[in-house]
Amino acid sequence: MARDDDSGLRDEFLAEAQEIVEALSRDLLVLDQAEKEGTTSAEQINDLFRSVHTLKGIAGMFGHPTIGAIAHSLEDLLDQLRLEKVALTAEVLDVLFEGVEHFQRLLQSEEESEAGIDLDAFAQRIGQSLGVQDGGATEDPLRALDLEEAMLSVLTEYEEHRLRANVEQGVTIFRVGLRLPLLSIDESLESLKEKLRSLAEIITYLPSMDGGDAEHIELVVLIASTSDKEVLEAAIPFEGTRVEEVKRRDGGPMSLGPVEEPQTTDLTDLIAAAEAAPSSLTHAPPSAAQLSGANQADPLSVRSVSNTVRVEIDKLDHLMNVVGELAIIRSAIFRISERFRSESAMRELSIELHRINRGFERNLLELQNGILDVRMVPLGQVFDKLARIVRQAAREHGKEVRLVVSGKDTEVDKLIVEELSDPLMHIIRNAIDHGIEPPKQRDMAGKKPTGTLALSAYQRGKHVVIEVEDDGGGIDHEAILRVGIERGVITRDAAAELSREEIYNLIFTAGFSTKSSVSDLSGRGVGMDVVKTNIARLGGIIDVDSEPGIGTKFTITLPVTLAMISALLVRVAGREFAIPITSVREALVFEESEIRMVEAREMLTLRGSSLPLCRLREFFGIADAPPPERQFVVVAEIGSRRVGFLVDELDGQQDIVIKSFGPSLQKVKGFAGATDLGDQRVALVIDVPSLVEESGMQMDRARLRAGGGV
Amino acid sequence: MSEAKLAIHQTDASEIVRTAHEFLAFSLAGESYALPLPSIREILKAPPITEIPRAEYDILGIISVRGRITTVIDLRRRLHLEEGPLTKDTRILLVDRGDEVIGVLVDLVHQVYRLHPDEIELSSVMGSDVSDHFVGIGRPGGEGSETLLILLDPIALLRRN
Repeated sequence: MARDDDSGLRDEFLAEAQEIVEALSRDLLVLDQAEKEGTTSAEQINDLFRSVHTLKGIAGMFGHPTIGAIAHSLEDLLDQLRLEKVALTAEVLDVLFEGVEHFQRLLQSEEESEAGIDLDAFAQRIGQSLGVQDGGATEDPLRALDLEEAMLSVLTEYEEHRLRANVEQGVTIFRVGLRLPLLSIDESLESLKEKLRSLAEIITYLPSMDGGDAEHIELVVLIASTSDKEVLEAAIPFEGTRVEEVKRRDGGPMSLGPVEEPQTTDLTDLIAAAEAAPSSLTHAPPSAAQLSGANQADPLSVRSVSNTVRVEIDKLDHLMNVVGELAIIRSAIFRISERFRSESAMRELSIELHRINRGFERNLLELQNGILDVRMVPLGQVFDKLARIVRQAAREHGKEVRLVVSGKDTEVDKLIVEELSDPLMHIIRNAIDHGIEPPKQRDMAGKKPTGTLALSAYQRGKHVVIEVEDDGGGIDHEAILRVGIERGVITRDAAAELSREEIYNLIFTAGFSTKSSVSDLSGRGVGMDVVKTNIARLGGIIDVDSEPGIGTKFTITLPVTLAMISALLVRVAGREFAIPITSVREALVFEESEIRMVEAREMLTLRGSSLPLCRLREFFGIADAPPPERQFVVVAEIGSRRVGFLVDELDGQQDIVIKSFGPSLQKVKGFAGATDLGDQRVALVIDVPSLVEESGMQMDRARLRAGGGV
Repeated sequence: MSEAKLAIHQTDASEIVRTAHEFLAFSLAGESYALPLPSIREILKAPPITEIPRAEYDILGIISVRGRITTVIDLRRRLHLEEGPLTKDTRILLVDRGDEVIGVLVDLVHQVYRLHPDEIELSSVMGSDVSDHFVGIGRPGGEGSETLLILLDPIALLRRN
């Protein structure tokens, strides 16, 4: 991946880290004051701990090992402070301040080495602080074990904790080398667990780097046991098993007795470990040279590195509301100027007012666009995360996948970006799990062994289109139909009438999955129907097309923003409703005589295909006024499903701001929110996906009642 | 109601009496009710209310309060009183229930009463079968007062949807 791509990530890291460090520094000053007054609280220290922990996390994520290591050691110190194992003294505060200062220098310096930080000295001071209450630092029992750094570094926190606990209790740690057949690995591990249950605690399994072949895998299992090596060897039912005791490095006794002293960590070791640890990132850790910033090693600057501001989306919503209010005022002024115009004495004034109002309108539009623009973020944010998923999933599944990304700069509303990562992740895992074939199989099919996954985005009018395309095995539509019928997703008769597109779209139906077992990669029990629901909630649609043997392509179409959308205003029984234009295909004059009953559903025929009809008046239970003579059908389309909503009047198209309901209305279904039309008029915004779903279900029930079979 | 909940409710009630000395009184189907003044954000003349199909029975609909969509409930319906017409005196109280400001439709707004603790008879001394939104009875001017105010707990009253 090109270096330039990293700059977005780096800026994001810098902005976030800067904020955390600034908060840390403020909190620390407060704590310092409290310490002097003797009013420190556990809550204050806990807050600091959490901030440092967050900083450590993001430093790890963005590959900044030095910041990560300093954060790690500060975290240790703060942990001991909050457990009250170390007393908060002026000296300890000095060390905390020093740590924060290091962070600031590191964030501002271009070269880590030039930040002028003596890490060893700092580590020493941390150690001294930790040792304050017992007069000396003790060594982490884990570091005393003769285990490779690489192994220690991949342990989860819990595994590390169990390992440490066992060491501290004087339980011997054993390293067990196993060679297991790949085919039956799950059963083998189960039997291993079973055999060891009463003898030992299994701390972790790690695949070994060396050994293994196509059929076998070499595993290293760390166990803690009070039994002898021979007993363990006898208990493990696999040939060629090697059991060896993990000794202490200094040859000393394993048992340290119960140790309660805090441990120190060697900073330089940690950095080495952090750098050596296999990174799940697609990006190499940016070298310090790439961390942009102010002049290095200068006396600590107060200036922030980042010139971005983080704003809560709520505040932008509020500004949008104000714009809405201004628009209402604008139309009021317009009405007044129109009234003046009809009076000859006021004519001149009217023209002037009109002109001023036009200027107002122009500026208002600019303000509105400006606010919308602030909400926009590049899709690259999600794509970067997905790149990591691709690598991980490909490795887990033994497939070779090349990811080709385009259109990273395409911008969409922040809220959409947030909601998009889960569905996209699912589609991508699916493509790798079910789509792209294993290298051997690809070779036999005459394809390159490395599969290609193309992730692209582009803007089309007021929509953003995201495509995920793989060159894998494609989806066999015969198989879809078979499974669909098996699972009762579709009847045999209905299946015969489906178009190719409709068949592919069956995979978005609840209860559909072509693999019989839930795969760890794509599955976790969540199917494509959830993906579709999530996309629909964003006002988007998803489509799939596939060519067996060639590949599969998912196309997601989303509105650019959720803040302001175009809507078709309609009227039903005197009430006004807004239907997002993105899901409206067309509107027609309704002809009662064209209704046909198909399996107890009211259907219209539209250019040769059937359109189920939903009478909104009855559906909403607002039949208090008789329908007018002329009614209209609004054809709404979500993915492959279409419904015709029967309405009294079409009131034209308007840009609206959707405002969500408060918690008190969460149970109400069928509406995405409401919108203020001005003049104290509030219209409900129809949630087309949920209504399409619901009206379909209602009609299914009607059909069942009418005796139709499914 | 479980005993635990009752205990919590009683703490709340005494809390209301201890902290809110002022109550806004309004009438509803001929009776006088009152809510703690600090919970009232605003009093509005009733604008057109947009009804919401398939919402609960006592939800009248929504209004826009300076761009903010606000749910309006009919307090008569919520308290199971007979229905009444909207008149020129009808008002919407904007009441804070903690997580949301709710519009509450009432017949007529009277005035603010400052009540001393000895002018309030807590519901907890009236037995255990009272509704949890019922805090007690306020008697402005003490015993023998002409006016009886039914004091309501805004949170218990509105936290249902």
